[in-house]
Order: sequence, then structure tokens, then C-alpha cells
Amino acid sequence: MVPLWLFLAVAAALFCIGTFGVLTRKNAVAVLMSIELMLNAVNINLVAFWRFQTPLDMSGQAFAAFVFVVAAAEAAVGLAIIIAVYRNRRSVSVEDIDMLRW
Amino acid sequence: MDLNNLNTLPWLIPVGPLLAFVIITLVTNKSRMVRADDSHEYGGHHPDYDGMNVPVVAPWSRVASIVVGLSGVISAWLISWRVFFEAISINQFGKDVIFADSIDWLSNGLDTFRMGVMVDPLTAVMLFMVPLAVLCIFIYSIGYMAHDPRQARFFSLISLFAGAMLTLVVADNILLVFVGWEVMGVCSYLLIGFWFEKKSAYNAAIKAFTVTRVADVVMLLGIAYLFFLSYEFYGFATLNFRDILYNEAFLEYAAGTNAIIFGGLGLSASAVIGIFLIIGTIGKSAQFPLHVWLPDAMEGPTPVSAMIHAAAMVSAGVYAVIRMYPLFDAGGHVHAGDFTAPLLLMAVIGSFTALFAATMGVVQRDVKGVLAYSTISQLGFMIAALGMGAFVAAFFHLITHAFFKALLFMSAGSVIHAMEHGEHHVHEHHAHDHHHDHHDEAHVESVGVGDEAGTHPPADAHAATEDPAEHPREAGTHFDPQDMMNMGGLRHKIPVTYYAFLAGGLSLAGFPLLTAGFWSKDEILADGWYVFRETGSGMHLIVFLVLALAAFLTAFYTMRQIGLTFWGEARTEEAEHAGLGGPESIISRTMQLPLIILAFFAIFAGFVGVPPDFPILGSIFAPNGNPFFDFTKYALMESIQPEKPTFSWIPVLTSFGVALGGLYLGWLIYWRNPLKAGDEDPIKQPLGVLYDLWMNRYYMDDLYGMVFVRPSQWFSAVVVSTFIDKGIIDGFLHLVARAFIWTGDLIKVLNLWLIDGVSDGIPEAIGHFGVWFRRIQTGRIQQYLLLAAAAAIIIGLIFVVSTTLLQAAG
Amino acid sequence: MEFDILGLNPLTVLVFGPGLSALIIAALPNNKVLSRWLSLALSLVIAAVAVAVFANYNNTFMDDPNVSAFQFQTQAEWFTLLGSSWHLGIDGISATMVLLTGILVPLAILISWEVDDRPSIHLALILFFEMGLMGVFVAMDLMVFFLFYELSLVPIYFLIDQWGGKNRKYAATKFMIYSVGGTLGMLLATQLIGWTAGTFDIQQLSQIWPRFMGENGSFLGIDINTVKGLSFAGFLIAFGIKVPIWPFHTWLPDAHGEAPTAGSMLLAGVMLKLGAYGFIRLVVPFFPDVWIGEINLLGLQFTAAGLFAFLAMLGIVLGAFAAFGQNDIKRLVAYSSVNHMGFVAIGIAAMAVAYGQAWANGSEEHMQSGIIAANGAVLQMFNHGLSSAAMFLLAGGIYHKTHTRDLREYGGLWVKAPIYGGIFIFTSMASLGLPGLNGFVSEFLVVRGTFPIFTWLTAISMIGLLFTGAYILKGIRATLHGPFNMKWRDTALEIEPREVVAVVPLMILIVITGIFPNWILPIINDSVTIMMHSITG
Repeated sequence: MVPLWLFLAVAAALFCIGTFGVLTRKNAVAVLMSIELMLNAVNINLVAFWRFQTPLDMSGQAFAAFVFVVAAAEAAVGLAIIIAVYRNRRSVSVEDIDMLRW
Repeated sequence: MDLNNLNTLPWLIPVGPLLAFVIITLVTNKSRMVRADDSHEYGGHHPDYDGMNVPVVAPWSRVASIVVGLSGVISAWLISWRVFFEAISINQFGKDVIFADSIDWLSNGLDTFRMGVMVDPLTAVMLFMVPLAVLCIFIYSIGYMAHDPRQARFFSLISLFAGAMLTLVVADNILLVFVGWEVMGVCSYLLIGFWFEKKSAYNAAIKAFTVTRVADVVMLLGIAYLFFLSYEFYGFATLNFRDILYNEAFLEYAAGTNAIIFGGLGLSASAVIGIFLIIGTIGKSAQFPLHVWLPDAMEGPTPVSAMIHAAAMVSAGVYAVIRMYPLFDAGGHVHAGDFTAPLLLMAVIGSFTALFAATMGVVQRDVKGVLAYSTISQLGFMIAALGMGAFVAAFFHLITHAFFKALLFMSAGSVIHAMEHGEHHVHEHHAHDHHHDHHDEAHVESVGVGDEAGTHPPADAHAATEDPAEHPREAGTHFDPQDMMNMGGLRHKIPVTYYAFLAGGLSLAGFPLLTAGFWSKDEILADGWYVFRETGSGMHLIVFLVLALAAFLTAFYTMRQIGLTFWGEARTEEAEHAGLGGPESIISRTMQLPLIILAFFAIFAGFVGVPPDFPILGSIFAPNGNPFFDFTKYALMESIQPEKPTFSWIPVLTSFGVALGGLYLGWLIYWRNPLKAGDEDPIKQPLGVLYDLWMNRYYMDDLYGMVFVRPSQWFSAVVVSTFIDKGIIDGFLHLVARAFIWTGDLIKVLNLWLIDGVSDGIPEAIGHFGVWFRRIQTGRIQQYLLLAAAAAIIIGLIFVVSTTLLQAAG
Repeated sequence: MEFDILGLNPLTVLVFGPGLSALIIAALPNNKVLSRWLSLALSLVIAAVAVAVFANYNNTFMDDPNVSAFQFQTQAEWFTLLGSSWHLGIDGISATMVLLTGILVPLAILISWEVDDRPSIHLALILFFEMGLMGVFVAMDLMVFFLFYELSLVPIYFLIDQWGGKNRKYAATKFMIYSVGGTLGMLLATQLIGWTAGTFDIQQLSQIWPRFMGENGSFLGIDINTVKGLSFAGFLIAFGIKVPIWPFHTWLPDAHGEAPTAGSMLLAGVMLKLGAYGFIRLVVPFFPDVWIGEINLLGLQFTAAGLFAFLAMLGIVLGAFAAFGQNDIKRLVAYSSVNHMGFVAIGIAAMAVAYGQAWANGSEEHMQSGIIAANGAVLQMFNHGLSSAAMFLLAGGIYHKTHTRDLREYGGLWVKAPIYGGIFIFTSMASLGLPGLNGFVSEFLVVRGTFPIFTWLTAISMIGLLFTGAYILKGIRATLHGPFNMKWRDTALEIEPREVVAVVPLMILIVITGIFPNWILPIINDSVTIMMHSITG
């Protein structure tokens, strides 16, 4: 049986990759994809802890399901914003989207 | 109320007239609005108001007012006479028996002041005279006021006047006397100013009220002091005449106590109170120096003059001092020539006034003016007599004077009426378009309103209050029906009036033996002479001589008046046509009946006071002693009752001499050589400068105007209202207010740069900081996230390190 | 006989009834007819209660020791922390004032029916004013007294400020600032007295405060006489402004002159009495020693009471002169109040001397005079309330019809207004102090009472009485006498039936009091007597 720490290690790696992507990618779509990575890292953690700690309780899986839904919704809204920005600015680079000052 | 209880019956005496006043005022005084130029409905002598609608008493109201007023007076008259006849039927009435009753009236601490009525000999005699004279005046007024547009108001006021006088007469204390006294003052004010449109009328009214009030406030002070003194003595509140005046212990106490005011002058309490009360009488009975109101008081309708001069007002003043005589005499003995201050004051003021007023009476042209001055003079006789201690004689003269003066005034009113009739006739004759109602007093027309020229009163307010004297009609060109120079020969036109006037005039002059005036005046002189002879009191001699001289002048001006009015030939066309509208007229009858009644008393009233030792007549009229004297003296305690003067020829011959001498002189000048139309008064030449002085009333009115009236107006308007109140006090207040406003302004400036500076500076600094600090925000999400991540890491590190360290520390 | 109204103490009803009525009137829709009739009805109910309270006041306490002079008492917790409680009750003096207030307010309301501008607020303010007045008269607690004393200023301020004549803003401001400013010293003194005594109950304070000597004659390091003198001055100025005592009187002609008719009626009729009532109820019993204490100023030696009497005399004399100098009918009547209230003040001074001497050395020398003077002062308050209200009613009536207050614009109006003329002369004579009408009785009592105490001042104040006649005659002369001013030819000048209804009750009371003063005097007299005699036991 795969031990818990392996799951956690994978999840941590995945989270770090996602974080790196969010902080460094210039393309907004890539940033969005990196966020998906981070969310999935969390999902792995949730499911792993459920399996090893409270297998009788379904709350871990339920959380994971919620996160999917939120992630999907977020991706949809995010993409819509990006498309809207693209229409206005002809660019999806986060460097150009700095109108939220003050 | 039990009509047979003589103690409570006096309550009812003033009730009739007072009730009549209330009923007429509230019920029967009803007017209709009539156009003022409707000469049939509205007396033509009144202002025509430019055709405005004015109230005129409705015909039924005239009748009803007469009926109500007359019933009131008749009830008072009947009750009074019943009381009077009961009183004189009692032997030594007043000594032990009096009629008295009282009620609780005014709470004072632990006890209550009682107000009541009392009939003693003085009251009883007054109750004989007053209602009779008032009744005559009422009857006379029916005719006299028949066509006046405000007739009902006249009857209501004169009823109140009568009620007040009767209240005063039956009062058992000086406070109730004062009540009646003042109410009469107001009635006289309203009646003198009855024709209120006329400037001379309302000015005379104000003058009468104000001048008498000068005296009244002093009198009030005297009453207050007396009230205090009686409390100090008795330990309870009383002003009852019997307590104050019929108790030797109290009088001694009053005379022995040093006064709390003017005590430094060595005056006793009784002297100060006495002087204060006498000052009240000086005002009310028109003595020098407060006599100035009385001559003007004839501006009212003539019945009012009769009321004021004879029956009520001025008699009230003398009555009050006669009533209070024991208090004045306290501490002295005037019959022994020992004057107290109040009596001395009265002797001086009275005798001076008697002569002073008589001199002015000599030159008057106005038929009522002569009578007015004669009233002042005769009142002076009474005051002087009382000052000499001639208590009974003063009172006797008061009674006889009331009869003959009422008679004279009403006769003079008839004369004026007759002259107006003549004036009316002349106007008709000359076919003027102006309608005159032929039975109205003449004066009212002078109120700056329409006259023959047809001018109308100016609508402008300021012009309307202008002096009407400037009006051409008033400027001496128009006919004055009261001026004796316009009369003459009236004895043929109005014979009843002539004989009545003759009776009154001779009585006033003191025509020997026959008239009432002789007996009362003679008694005054006899009393004065008697004390002088017994004690050698110089003051009595002086008063005797001055009064004798005044009596001489009285006889002279009476004869002059009769001469100018009735003798000779008519001096004007108006006098030629004078008359009272025929003997059948109701006006003529109601105006003549009272004259006949009063003429009777003016002649025969004197015979009740004939001294028993007077040759021949004494044994006829006073076989058992002088009835008037013997009845009246019991108004006083036995210890101060006046002695009956023994008969002496000197005063009698003096009376004969002055009366006949004066009459003869008047006869000489005005009968033998009657005045012709256009002639000057024959006494003007010999009198010279005195004539002007007397004609102008010694310039006293001008003096008062200059010294009192105008300065007080100036003082009120300029000094008090404007300078003190608006200038100093309000000025100070405004200064304080302004100081506060200035302080406020100062603080406001401070606020601007100090407080506002601080409070505005802090937000501004924060703003500047914000502007600088906002540069941290780039809008780049990744930078934000980086910062967030760094912060998270740092916080995590701190957390880890601190927990580790804590764990290591244990 | 004490009674209650639906379980409530009648005094509570008297205080809160008007306030509640005011709220009702103010809350109702702005309907002229409704608010007029309703306010009249409500004020009549309150008047009925006032009359019932007066009629049921039992003055047998002179003979019956079980009866207290203060009746209809009610007490509730209110401001316990300060020692103040909601304590109401009346004696004969307050009963008289309550009666006066109760009678005058419905008449004032009837007169203010002529107001067309925001009538319901106007009427509500009058009722609110009544609450303040009633509260002062029935208060037996100093704090309650002070509360209502200040409360009464508010409605009258708005009445003058909103419905007054041309110069109303100035008059209202002057009145308000003067009155409030004047009460500052009194507020301090009230706090001081209440704090030191630990209670605000007036009856207890009358016992405690005069005997308060601080610690060895000093209080907070200040000499106790100075403390008492200053608190006395605080009261003196506050009430002196209200009475008004000369020279604090100049707000009065402005306020009375500019106020609407109903406002003038109540100002002169009742509000001035607050000051005089305060003197009798508070200042005389609180400071018996200060009144007769010697003051040395600029080398002149006099007592506080003497100074007060001197100022009262100046009020009488100069008030009369000032009235004589006016050409504005309402100002003339207003100055007549200065003149008449001067008699109240001089009577109070005499009372204070008698009270003070009895307190200080048990001397009964001036006791009777003091009692008579106090009787006169209270009766004069009542009488002046009647006659001045009637005078303002008539002055306001003629102003309402001619729209001018200038006497020189009138003239000869009697011919067009015979009934008005008769009533005007009647009330003028009452104001003048004609014997047989009410004013005379009280003036005589005051003169009698003060003459032995302030002999010369009383004598000099007779000049004022003389000029009372002069200005009254001037008023009559200018209004009724003389040639008719044709300017008013087509103006309706006769008094309206509504005004007759309002003035007739006053006239009846004027006559009754003049002819038979003992319908009311025993109630005043017994309370005054027991107050005075209680000092010497």
C-alpha cells in the first residue's frame, strides 16, 4: 500500500509547480491553468487524508467534490474575463492588466 | 330683608340707584343707528359725522331709562326719609342709639375688617337733603336731556353718581366713604366729558379727575395710616367711625403718638392723618390750591353741574371733614382758641378760598361760571367754619347751600335752555339751511364739524385731533348762550325761572332773616365771633373778618348776575326770543317743578336752625332750643360738643351789613342803570388790572400748566420713556449684548486659525501620506501574490521558529 | 375636601392635562375649526379642575391642627440621587394663582381664535404654556419649580417670535435671553441650596437653609454670609426680571407690545406672577436674615428689603410716568404692568421685613403690617391678572381691527363702538384702582401694610398712583374721546361677540372682588398668616 507521505509529497510538488506557474507565467490562460494545478494538489491532500484518517466519514470526498465544482466555475468565469480583456486589449498578458491600482 | 329693621335698612338706600345703573346699562340702553345728518332723529347740535351712522337712543329706551332711573332714586328717597324721620323722633339720637349694621369684608391676619352702614345725626340730616336734591335733579334731567342721543347713558351714570353719594353718606367707616368718593369722581369724570367729542369737555373731565386724584392719593395714605393706628390701639382692624371718633381714649392715643411721617415737624399721628384727609377734601371740595377743576366742570350737562356742585361731589368733601372732625380736634381745644394743626389748616385754607373764589366770581361772564366760583367760595365758608370749630354751623351751611345751589344751577340751566331756544328761533328766522334741534345744549357743535359754512371734518387723523379752537366757529364770532352779556330782560320771558333764581340768589347772598343762606352764614360768623369774644383768639377774628368780606362780595356778584341776566332789556336778538317752549311742554314742566321744590327749601330750610335767643324769631322758630343744633350735636361725644354761642349783635349786624351792602351795590350798578347791548361791564373800569387778573383766574391754570402739566408730560415722554428706559437701561442691555457678540466674533476668528487649523491639518496629512503610499499598488496581480506568498512564508517561519523556541524553553 | 379625578391627583391633572392637550392639538390634522373648539373645550376642562381645586381648598387649618396648609399633595420618586422628588401641593397662595391661570387660559384661547396663521400650533403652544405655569404654582420641590419655570419660557418665545407684531424678533430674543440669562444665578443658587441641605423640598428647605451656617460660619472657605448673599442675589435677579422690578423691566414693554393678544394676556396675566410667586414662596422664607441684613454701599446704609422696596417704588413711579409717555396702546398697557407689579413688589418687601424680623429676633412689631402687605401683594397679583388681561384683550381687539397701535391714530371711537367703549372704561377703571373694583382693595392693603414699614417710600409711590390715573385717562381720551377720526368711517370697530364672551368673566370677577373681596381673601390670608406666625410659633 502506498503510504500517506507519498501522496502528500506528490500533492506538495504539484502545489509548488502550480504556485510557480501563477507567479511567473505571463499568459493569463497559463496562470489559470496553474491555479487548477494548485486546486488539484489540494484535492489530492483531501482525498488522501480521508482515506488514511477517517475512511468512515465521507466529508473528505465531499470537500473534493466541492472544490471541483468551484474550480470549474472559477475557470469558466476566469476564461470569460480573459476573453473580455482580450477583446478590449488584444492581449492576454497579465503584465498589461494593471487597471486595478487604487 | 326686614324693612322694619332700622339697623339693616340703610343698606338698601344706595341699592336703588345702583341697581338702576346696572339695569339701564345692561338692559335699557339700546340704540338705533341713525344717519348723523338726520336732524329729526339726531340732535343738530351734535357733530354731524359727515353723514355716518351713529347710535341714537331708541324711543322706548328713553322712556324705560327714565322710569328705571327715577324708580331707583325714588326708592332711595323713600327709604332715606323713613330713616330720617325715625331718627329725629328718637331723643338724643346718636348719643346711645344709632342705626348700624356690618359684615365681614376684609380678612386681616387673625381678624377681619368689617364694612357696614351707620346712621347717626350727621347721616340722618344728609339722608334728608341728598335724596331730595338728587330726585329734583333727576326730574329736571328728564326735560333737559329729552333730545340727547345718549340720554340713556346719562341716566345710567347719574344713577351711579347718586348711588355712590348715598353709599358715602350711609358708610360706617372712612374706607367706604372713600369708595363712594372715588366712584363719584369717576362719574363726574364721565359726565363732565359726557359730550366727549368736544375738546373743552374732555379736557375738563380729565382735569377734574386728575386734580381731585392728587388729593385722593394723599387721602388714601391718611386712611392707611389711620387703619394702622387703630390696629395699634385696638389690636384689631377697624375704621369704624364710632371706634375712631367716639372713643376719647383712642383720640388721646392718636394725639399723643408722634407721627411716623412728618413726625419730625412735631406733628402727632392724629394731626398727620387729619391733614392727609383734609387734603383729600381740598381736592374734592375744590379748595385753594386744588380748586381749578371746578369752574371747568360745568362743561357737562347742567344737571351734572347741579349734582357736582350741590347734591353730591363737593358736599361729600365737606361731609367727610365734618364727619372726621373729632380726629382733627384731638389734642387741642379749638373752642378755647387752641388750634390743632389740621383745624388751623382748614381755617386758613377755607377762609382764604372763600375770599379768593369770590373775587373771581365778581367778574365772570358765564352764567354758570359765577355759580361755580360761588360754590368754591361757599365751600370755603364751610371749611373755615369747621376749622374754627363751628361744627354744627358748617354742617348747617352745607345743607342750605346744597338746596340753594342746586336751585341756582338748575335755574341757570333753564336760562341757557331758553337762550338756546331763542338762538334756534333766530336761526329759523334767518332761514338758515342748517337744522337745529331746539332743545339741546349748545356747546357740542364746536367739535370741528359742520357748521353754517358747510365744512366737513378733515379725514386726516392729525388734522382731526387739532385744536378745535382754531376752528372759525369757535373763534368768538359765534353766539354763546351762556354769556350773560348776551342776555338781559329775561324776567319777562321765563318768570318761573326768574323767581326761582331770585330765591336761590338771595339765599346765596344771605338776604337777612328770610332766606336759609342768611341763617347758616350768620351762624358761622356768630360762632367765630363768640370764640373770639370768649377767648380772644386772633385766628377766629381774622377768619370772621375774611368771611365777612367774602360774604359781601358774594352778595354783590349775585346781584350782578341777576341784573345781567334778568333785568333791563334784551341785549341780543336771541334773548329777545328766549323761552322754554310754552308752559304746556313736558320739558318746561319737568324743568320747572324741581325749581319750585328747591326754592321752597332754599327759603325755609333756614328756620330749623334759628338760634333760640335771636330776638323775636328765636321764640317763634326755636322755643325749645335750636332744633338743628340740638339734633346734630349728638354726632359728637359730649366732651367735644360745641357750646351754643350766646346771642351777640355784632355778627348779626355784620351779616346784615355785608348782605344788604353787597346787594345794594349790585342793585345800584345793574338795576338803576341796566346794561345796554354792546356796553362794557361797568365794573371793568374801576377794577382795572384786577379785572384781568380775576378774569384769568389769577393765572393759576397757566401756572399749573407750566409747572406741573407740561413738565410731567416732558418727563414721562422724554426722560423716563426715552432717556432712562430706552437710553440708559436698554442701552446698557444692548451694550452687554454687543459685548457678547464681539466676544463671539473674537472666538470665531480664533477658531478659524487655531482650532480649524488643527482639525483640518490632520486629515490633510493623512491624505498626503495616502498619495505617497498608494505607489505601492502597481495593479500587477502577480506582484501582489508574490508579496502575499513572501508574507505567508515569513509568518510561517516566525510561527515555526517561535513554537520551536517555546518548546525548547519548556 | 380633597378629591381625585379618575384616580389621579387633581394637581397632576392640572400639570399634565395642558401638556397632553397641547400634544393632541398639535397632532391633529390642521383643521381650524376643530383645533379651535377642541382646544377651548380642553382648556375649559382644565379650568373646571382649577376651579374645583380652589373651591375645595380647605382653609380651616387656623382652627383645626389636623389640616395642613398644603393640600392635594402628591409625591413620587423623581431625581432621588439629588434628593429631589416629584412633590406637588398647594396652599392658599398657590390656589389663587392656579385659579387665575385656569380662568385666563380658556379666555386667551378664545381670543386667539382670531389667529389664522397655523392656528393649531398656536393653540397648542398656549396650552403648553399653561403646563409650565401650572407646574410652577403647584411645585413643592425646588427642582420641579425650576424645571417648569424654565419650561414656560419656551412656548411664549415661539408665540412672540412667530405670531408677534412688526418688531417681534427683537422682542422675542430680548425676552428669551434676558429671562434665561437671569435664571443662571438662580440655577446655581438652587443647586447650592439643594446640595447643602440634601433635599429640594421647599418646605424643608425653608426650615433648613436659613439655619445653615456651614462649618463655623464658612462654606467651602467662603464666608457663609457671602454665600447666602450671592444666592439671594441669584434669586433676586431671576425673579426680579420676571416681576419685573425696576430697572429689569425693559423687556416687558417690548415683549407685551409685540406678542399676539393671547400671548400678552397670559404674559401680563400670569407669567409676571411667577416672579412674585417665587419671591413669596422661596426668597422670603429662604433668606429671612439676608432681607433685613445691613448693606453698606458707597457710604449708604440700607437693608436688602429697603433696597428692594426702593426699586419697587421706582417701578411704581417711573412705570406710571413711562406709561404716561407712551403713544402705543399696547406699550401703555404694558408699562401699566410695571406700575402695578411695583405694588406687589413693595408688598413683598414689607412682608420680608416682617418675616425677617420675626425670624431673627422673634419681633412681632411689624407682623400685622407684613401680613396685610403680603395679602395685598397676592391679591394684587390676582387682580392685576384679571385687569391687565382684560386691558390687553381690549387693546389687542382694537389693534386687530385698525391694524395700528398708535394712540394718535384713534380718537372718538366711542361713537362707533359704544359697547367697546363702556367695557374699555370699565377695565381702565379697574386698572386705575377705582374703589368698588378689584384693584383698589389690593392696593389699599399694600399701602396699609407697607406704610408703617417703608413710610416714605410708600408716600412717594403715591405719585405713581396719581400718574396711574393720568395714563389711564390718556388712554381713554386718545381712544374714545375727542372728534372721531374719519379714517375709520367704514371700519367695523365694535367689539365682537367672541371678545365680549372672553371679557365678561373677567369683568364679573373684577366687580365681585371689588365689592366683596372676602370671597377670596380669607384663603390667601390664612395661608399667609400661618406662614408668618409659624416663625414665632
